[in-house]
Amino acid sequence: MLQLVVGQTLNGVIVGTLYGIIALGVTLTFGITGIVNFALGEFMMIGAYATWYLVDHVGLPFPVALVPAVASAALCGLAADQMLFRFTRNNLVNGLLVSIGLISIVEAGALALWTATPKDMSYVLTGALRLGGVSLPKIKLLAFGLLAGVIFLTYAALARTWIGRAAYAFAQNPEAAMLMGVRTDLMQTGVVVYSCALAGFGGALYASLYSLEPAMGGLYILKGVEAAILGGIGSLIGSLVGGVTIGVTEAIGSIYLPNAFRDAYGLVFVIVILLFKPSGLFGNEL
Amino acid sequence: MKALLWLPLLALPIVYRGDVVLTICIFSFLLAMAAVSFTLVFGFTGQLSMFHAAAFGLASYVTYLFVSRAHLPFWIALGPAMAMTVLLSLVVGTICFKFKLKAFYFAVVTLAFSELTRLLVLNWNDLTNGTLGLLVLEKPTVWVPGSGVLRIEGTIAWYYLSLAGLILTVGVCWLVLRSWIGRCFAAIRLDEDLAQTLGVDIFRYKLLSFTIANLLAALAGSFYGFYTGYIEPSYLSINQGLDIIAMVLLGGRLSLSGPIVGAFVLTGLPHLIELSGEVRAMLYGVILILSILVMPNGIVGSIAGWRRAA
Repeated sequence: MLQLVVGQTLNGVIVGTLYGIIALGVTLTFGITGIVNFALGEFMMIGAYATWYLVDHVGLPFPVALVPAVASAALCGLAADQMLFRFTRNNLVNGLLVSIGLISIVEAGALALWTATPKDMSYVLTGALRLGGVSLPKIKLLAFGLLAGVIFLTYAALARTWIGRAAYAFAQNPEAAMLMGVRTDLMQTGVVVYSCALAGFGGALYASLYSLEPAMGGLYILKGVEAAILGGIGSLIGSLVGGVTIGVTEAIGSIYLPNAFRDAYGLVFVIVILLFKPSGLFGNEL
Repeated sequence: MKALLWLPLLALPIVYRGDVVLTICIFSFLLAMAAVSFTLVFGFTGQLSMFHAAAFGLASYVTYLFVSRAHLPFWIALGPAMAMTVLLSLVVGTICFKFKLKAFYFAVVTLAFSELTRLLVLNWNDLTNGTLGLLVLEKPTVWVPGSGVLRIEGTIAWYYLSLAGLILTVGVCWLVLRSWIGRCFAAIRLDEDLAQTLGVDIFRYKLLSFTIANLLAALAGSFYGFYTGYIEPSYLSINQGLDIIAMVLLGGRLSLSGPIVGAFVLTGLPHLIELSGEVRAMLYGVILILSILVMPNGIVGSIAGWRRAA
C-alpha cells in the first residue's frame, strides 16, 4: 500500500509539474497580452512529437534532441503570434476562439502526419532508484527536476532582471511602460513565444515518460488552465503549486475512486476557487 | 417581409425530393436550432456560455430514457427533459451570476460544469451505456387529421418536423428580443455596469437569457437524438459546443438569420466537397479563425454592412 501511495504521489507530482509548466505559459501570456492561449497544449504536442522524431528516426541522443525540439515549438509559436495572436491582443474572447480554431488545425495536421497510433520512446533513461522499499524511476525524477528548475528560473528572471521589471510594469500599466522605453510589441511577441517554448519543453519531457498521441494537447491545456486558475492568474509559483495540487489529487483520488472521474477533480477545484477566492491560492486581489 | 424567406424552405420538398439535399437540410435545421439559441446568450447578451452542448446532449439522453424506460410518448417525455434543463440552468446560472463571473471566468466555470455533466453521462453505464451510446428505435408520433396517429419516419416527415422546430426556436428568440427583455439583454451586452446603474436587474436577465438558450438547445438535442437514431456522450463534448460556436461566428452573432446561414454552410460544405475527417476538422479551425479575424460580424453582418455602405 505504501509503495502504491508513494508511487502514485510521485506520478501525480510529475504530471502536476507538466500541468504547472503549461499553467506558467497561460499565466504569463494572460498577464502580458490579455489573452488565454488555449492552443498551448498543441505546442506541447509539437515539442513532444519533434523530440520523438529526432530521437526515434534521426537517432539523436535525447539531451541533444531537446534543443531543436524546443526551438521548433518556439518557432511555431512565433508564426502563430505573427499570423494570429497579434490581431487579438487584449481581446479575451477573440483570442480564446482563435486559439481554439488553432487547436483543430494543429491536431488535424498531427493526425494526418503521424496518425492516431500512440508513439512510445520510454527507453531514453531506464532504471530506478530504490529508497527504503519504494522505487523511483530515474527519468521521472529527472523530468521533475528539470521542469521545476525551469519554473524557478523563470521566476528568478522575472524577479531579478530588467526584463522582469519591464514585464511587471507593462502588466500594470501598458502606456506608462511604453513611455518608459519598454518595447511593448517585442515584449508581447516574446512572451507568446516563450510560453510556447515552455510548453514545447514540457512536451519534450512528456515524450520520454508517456506515449504520444495527437489529442494529448487538449487534455493538458484544460489541466493547465485549471492549474493557473487554482494557483492564481499572475502568480508564477502559484502555477507550479496549482499544477502539483491537481496532479496529486488525481493520482491519489484514482486509488480510492474510479479512475473515470480523475478529470473531474480539477474541474471541482476550479469551480470552488473561482467562487470563493477568485484570485486563486497565490494571486493578489485585483 | 423577412418571414417570406421561409416560404422556399416550406415548399422545397414539394418540388424537389432528393434524399441527400433534404437530409443536409434536416441536419442544418436541427443544428441551426442549437446555433440560434446560442446566439441569444452569446451574441445578444454577450455571455460566452460553454454549457450549450451539455444542455443539447443531456436533453437527448433524458428524453430518450423517459421514452424507453417509462414508455412515455416522445412529446410527453420532452416535459421532464425540459424541466431538468431549466432546473440545471437555474442552478449553474445562479452560481455563475450570483458570484459575478464575467467573460473568461464565466466561460471556464460553465465549461467545468459542462465537462462534469459529460463525465457523469459517460460513466453512468447502467443508464447511458457509456461510450457506446444508445440506439434510438422509437420515433415521435403526430396526429394527422384523416389518417390518425403517424410515426415520424422518412426524410420528408423529418424535414417538416425539424423546420417546425427551427421556426419555433426563431419565433421564441424573436419574441424575446423584440420585447423589453431583448433590450435588457442588449444593455447588458453593451455595458453591464451602466445597465445596472440604470436599474436593469442584470442577474435576473442574464439568468433568463442563459435558461431560455439552454431550453431551446435542449429541444434541438431531443430532436437530434431521435432523428439520428443514436445518442452518444460526444453530443455533450467541447467539440460539439465549438461546432455551434463556429456556426454562430461564421453566420453572424448579432442576427437570428446569421446562425442559420452558418449552420447551413458548415453542415453542407463537407458534403459538397469530399473531405476526410482530418481535413474537415482543419477546415473548421480555419473558418473559425478567419471569421473572427477577417469577418467579425459574420456573413449576415457583413452583407448588412455592405448594403448600408452602398
